[in-house]
Amino acid sequence: MASEDEVSLLVIVVDVNPIWWGQHAQREPEFTLSKCLDAVMVMGNSHLAMSRTNKLAVIASHCQDSHFLYPSKSWKGADSGADDASSSGDGKYELLSVANNLIAEEMRNVMSKTEVRGNSTDTLLAGSLAKALCYIHRVSKELEVGQEIKSRILVIKAAEDCALQYMNFMNVIFAAQKQNILIDACVLDSDSGLLQQACDITGGLYLKIPQKIALAQYLLWVFLPDSEQRSQLVLPPPAHVDYRAACFCHRNLIEIGYVCSVCLSIFCNFSPICTTCETVFKIQLPHMVKPKKKKLKQLA
Amino acid sequence: MASLSEEVLLVLKKVRQRKQDGTLYLMAERIAWGPEGKDRFTVSHLYADIRCQKISPDGKAKVQLQLVLHTGESTTFHFSNESSAIKDRDAAKELLQQLLPKFKKKANKELEEKNRMLQEDPVLFQLYKDLVVSQVISAEEFWANKLGGVNNTDPALFNNKQEVGISGAFLADIRPQTDGCNGLRYNLTADIIESVFRTYPAVKEKYSENVPHNLTEKEFWTCFFQSHYFHRDRINTGTQDIFSECAKQDEKGLKSMVIQGVKNPFVDLLTLDDKTLDEGYGVSTTLPSTSNANRTVKESSNYAIIKRFNHHSAMVLAAGSHFWTPLCITLPAQFFFYIFFETSSTDGNSRDSDFFQPPVKKVKLQEAIEYDDLQRVNRPKTVPLNLKKSDRYAHGPVPLQSQQYTTSQEIINSVNYIRHEMANYKPNLTQVLSSTVASSAIAALSPGGVLMQTGAQQAINQMIPTEVQGELKHLYVAAGELLRHFWSCFPVNTPFLEEKVMKMKSNLERFQMTKLRPFQEKIQRQYLSTNLTGHLEEMFQTAYNKFHAWQTRRMMRKT
Repeated sequence: MASEDEVSLLVIVVDVNPIWWGQHAQREPEFTLSKCLDAVMVMGNSHLAMSRTNKLAVIASHCQDSHFLYPSKSWKGADSGADDASSSGDGKYELLSVANNLIAEEMRNVMSKTEVRGNSTDTLLAGSLAKALCYIHRVSKELEVGQEIKSRILVIKAAEDCALQYMNFMNVIFAAQKQNILIDACVLDSDSGLLQQACDITGGLYLKIPQKIALAQYLLWVFLPDSEQRSQLVLPPPAHVDYRAACFCHRNLIEIGYVCSVCLSIFCNFSPICTTCETVFKIQLPHMVKPKKKKLKQLA
Repeated sequence: MASLSEEVLLVLKKVRQRKQDGTLYLMAERIAWGPEGKDRFTVSHLYADIRCQKISPDGKAKVQLQLVLHTGESTTFHFSNESSAIKDRDAAKELLQQLLPKFKKKANKELEEKNRMLQEDPVLFQLYKDLVVSQVISAEEFWANKLGGVNNTDPALFNNKQEVGISGAFLADIRPQTDGCNGLRYNLTADIIESVFRTYPAVKEKYSENVPHNLTEKEFWTCFFQSHYFHRDRINTGTQDIFSECAKQDEKGLKSMVIQGVKNPFVDLLTLDDKTLDEGYGVSTTLPSTSNANRTVKESSNYAIIKRFNHHSAMVLAAGSHFWTPLCITLPAQFFFYIFFETSSTDGNSRDSDFFQPPVKKVKLQEAIEYDDLQRVNRPKTVPLNLKKSDRYAHGPVPLQSQQYTTSQEIINSVNYIRHEMANYKPNLTQVLSSTVASSAIAALSPGGVLMQTGAQQAINQMIPTEVQGELKHLYVAAGELLRHFWSCFPVNTPFLEEKVMKMKSNLERFQMTKLRPFQEKIQRQYLSTNLTGHLEEMFQTAYNKFHAWQTRRMMRKT
């Protein structure tokens, strides 16, 4: 039982890359973005239902921007919510129904504003994570006296990794680690090295699910309990993370390499001049035994 | 057993040992006992082996002498000569008392050192147990490496003992106790005596003059405590006392110290005075004059006490610091030179030596306003970093995989499709999950399911119990030590190293036989096939290979 004083904040970052979802929906019609969002809503409702003091936030991560689905700026509070709540008619906890409606509405807005742009087809995941961290920071500052907050971020990833976001990603991960914020990852399609690192560093869980239609079940089973409860449960073991560095010349992952002592760039082969900082290096080669020159017989 | 060349120092007849009559012989290096009528010695102990001797108390009927050895065993000799038993025993005791200390130090020091090292370092102790106690290598080899090398610096540190200062309250600590009948008992320890001598060199002189010619030590100290020199009020200095001269010397000493003054340019002691501001703020009397004649009795006794306090404190400080006068301690050592100049001038008035004053004051000022830590550090000039391709750092270790190329047409199609789909999005939360799907997901997440496979392979340290882990650690430490000895022999240049290499190889083999194999068998018997000792075996095998290679090369060179 969570005490009155502890607030648990869950921020769900959903990857809504329209290009990926569009392609995917054409391939597998039974699992679409709507189904994914339904599962996310179930997760969010469950989290809010676990304790009165739990909080929720949902961010949609798009290729143009990151958008807060909940809580929304346009939420006017209880006044306009009255109509919607009564219209659901199933006696649901008001907060849950309000949340669901908001999420749905915002989602529709986001998707309607999607523009077609060929140059940016990658999900802005690093940016969404940064927004999540800022939101968590803001909420933790607005707490009442004596309240503590535990927060975690759940990332539901669909599209592939974007290599260009590497530095931003790592900064976000280390910032989360400093703030003791867990980053969990639920990956739908292809494994993501960056998220594996994020989960390993911050202490969260990384899971690539075999069946996408069972997303809700995986979310509830694995990602709903918070970190204290997870220690008591039998959950999928952490995967082995490949922390090998990539050489600067070919971007191959290497285990043993050469590092320039001036600029710390990594190479897979020795070269006498570092190509990044142009420092000259000498390496001692074993003594070459010169072959004895055979005297040419002089022709008489 | 007795060698004829041994010098016999004392022979005592009629000494019984274990209820047998015999003779006790004390020789130059050992003590021995032989039974009556026989030529050989049944008991023989080197003085170096004897830890201590004990004698039976005076009142007892049996006159005995017991020797306790380092190993813990003891031998008892019973002196049974009716007339001279006690004399014999005492003679033996005295001789032993003289001889034992000579031999004690040599053996003990090394042993003590070794014991100390073993006790301080549990890893070393464990290593000792593993290697020497189980006879993998001999004790000399073990200590050969440990006593040389790192630990050589430690004894040197222990020799530079700090000088112990003198407690200011040493006289007060003597604490005389009443004797019951109007007398006082003073308990003097060697420490107190040393403090007195160091603080009051005049007393030391008196001591060396009078003891032991005129007075015994006891009498000297009785005289000391009785004299008025020791007591508070030194008013009656006219009495005949060996210490009356000391009192005069003290007065002279105090006067010279006052004249020297304080060398600190920021402190002007002369301005410190009992000044009065108004009625109720301090004592409103005239300044006390320095001439003795105008004093009242009470004032003069207060004056005397204060003078003695100051003198005592000054002497204690002077005794503690050998090099400089206690009044100059606050100045840094660099200006030591200047201080010597000041003290050597006969006119101690510091104002006259103005020539030397500025540097001292300057140094003190500098000390107060500057901090060494905050100074700019003069680092050597460095070359600035000149990066040509800094965007390389921005790419993480995500290798450039072949991206799935999407045509623009595909993009447009996808986006339109999704927009169309989400335009009428309504959450349908009752149809999110079907039971079959849910149960298959649960099956995958349960132990043994698809997602839980890797769990069994991990946490080898949770599968092996801690004792086995501990044993493995000890094995590693011991094996590491042996292998270090082995590998340090290469390249083999000297015959000593050759011998050592061969010895180490046999040690390694012995270790493998006696320690490694039983451990492997044990874990194989009890636990499933976890390969805990694979790495150790590999290390040993590498060592053996190197040895063989070296041996074959040696053979080839010889032929």
